[in-house]
Amino acid sequence: MNTKLLGSLALTVSFLLLVSIPVFAHHGGSSLYDMDKVSTVKSTITDFVWANPHCEISFDGVDEAGKARHWTIEAHPPNIMLTHGWTRKSLKAGDVVSITFHPGTNGGAWGKMVKVVWPDGKELVQD
Amino acid sequence: MRKALLIVSALVLLGGVALFSPRNVRNIRNFTQTAEAQAKPADFSGIWLGKGIQSLSPSDPMGRKPLGSEPDISYTAWGIEKVKAAKPSTGPNQTFVNTNDLALKYADPDGYPRSAIHPMRFKVVHTPDFIYFLYEYDQAWRPIALNAKHSDDPDPTWYGESVGKWEGDTLVVDAIGFNDRAWLDPIGHPRSEQLHLVEHWRRVDHDTLVDELLIDDPVAYTKPWTGSLTFKLDHNGELHENIYTATDELRFKTDMVNTINKTATQPAK
Repeated sequence: MNTKLLGSLALTVSFLLLVSIPVFAHHGGSSLYDMDKVSTVKSTITDFVWANPHCEISFDGVDEAGKARHWTIEAHPPNIMLTHGWTRKSLKAGDVVSITFHPGTNGGAWGKMVKVVWPDGKELVQD
Repeated sequence: MRKALLIVSALVLLGGVALFSPRNVRNIRNFTQTAEAQAKPADFSGIWLGKGIQSLSPSDPMGRKPLGSEPDISYTAWGIEKVKAAKPSTGPNQTFVNTNDLALKYADPDGYPRSAIHPMRFKVVHTPDFIYFLYEYDQAWRPIALNAKHSDDPDPTWYGESVGKWEGDTLVVDAIGFNDRAWLDPIGHPRSEQLHLVEHWRRVDHDTLVDELLIDDPVAYTKPWTGSLTFKLDHNGELHENIYTATDELRFKTDMVNTINKTATQPAK
């Protein structure tokens, strides 16, 4: 088994693990997001809202088609984020990070956060 | 030798008769009942987290079937009208933008039992007279008065009036006095002011707490039905504030709808 095949297998398993996690469905699932898909975007943060009912992360990045876009995605509420290692200071405008999220349905730039990875390798996940 | 055997047999027979005499049977029964009554109540202390189900229907806990078609729930005309009118944010016809789930639309309280279904934690605190369920979501609490009677005519409230008693290691809770403004669960099963819940709470192992609910609401359902909730002990520290208000909801919905409307190629559902 070569390295490339192992890498693909690991990616597939990771994706299956991600989509099999019970969904915090306070504000709807498949009516707003494509829960079968995840996108990863190198992002420049423009805003981080630490509030109920869900934290919001706004960022600029480039989509899979190479088009510059601006997204706003939702995350867990603060009390759950805290149990996952997040604080209200985890992100600030200007930070450059990699964000993985379930993209919005119908091409909408609204999504649901899966994880954020910093340039030094640190990562914070939702579940 | 034969004589000795006869003597031993007679003694065994006499002993058996004496052991199962009416007085001794009564004593044995009394002893068993006393032992049951003295069985130590369980300790539910700790922080617990549910499994994030969407429906109390045992046959469809994730609420994937069309509302009103659950084989384990029999609706009255009032009940079927209510459940068909529900527009939840979960299930096959989910919508968020057009939901009529008042707990989402206006941040109304979850009420009980929905608060136990909400995918946030709760803490159980024992006192001599009450067991308190403290919900992280909305900073709500539910007191269970131990060995107490219900009020004669309790006011209808979001969380109802709950009394409980220990039967061995099982906490049996009887709850009435609910209002009809909340859903039983996120999928939209209705409740009326006639809702009567009987719950059996058991800590089935160190990390697992189970609540078996009998849902008896003759206004909404033609016969009682059962639901089951399972919770796992959570080790992520203390509860944090999660107070969710109508203004929070307005900001969130405005941000979301504005983003969707700016970028979507089709209208959001």
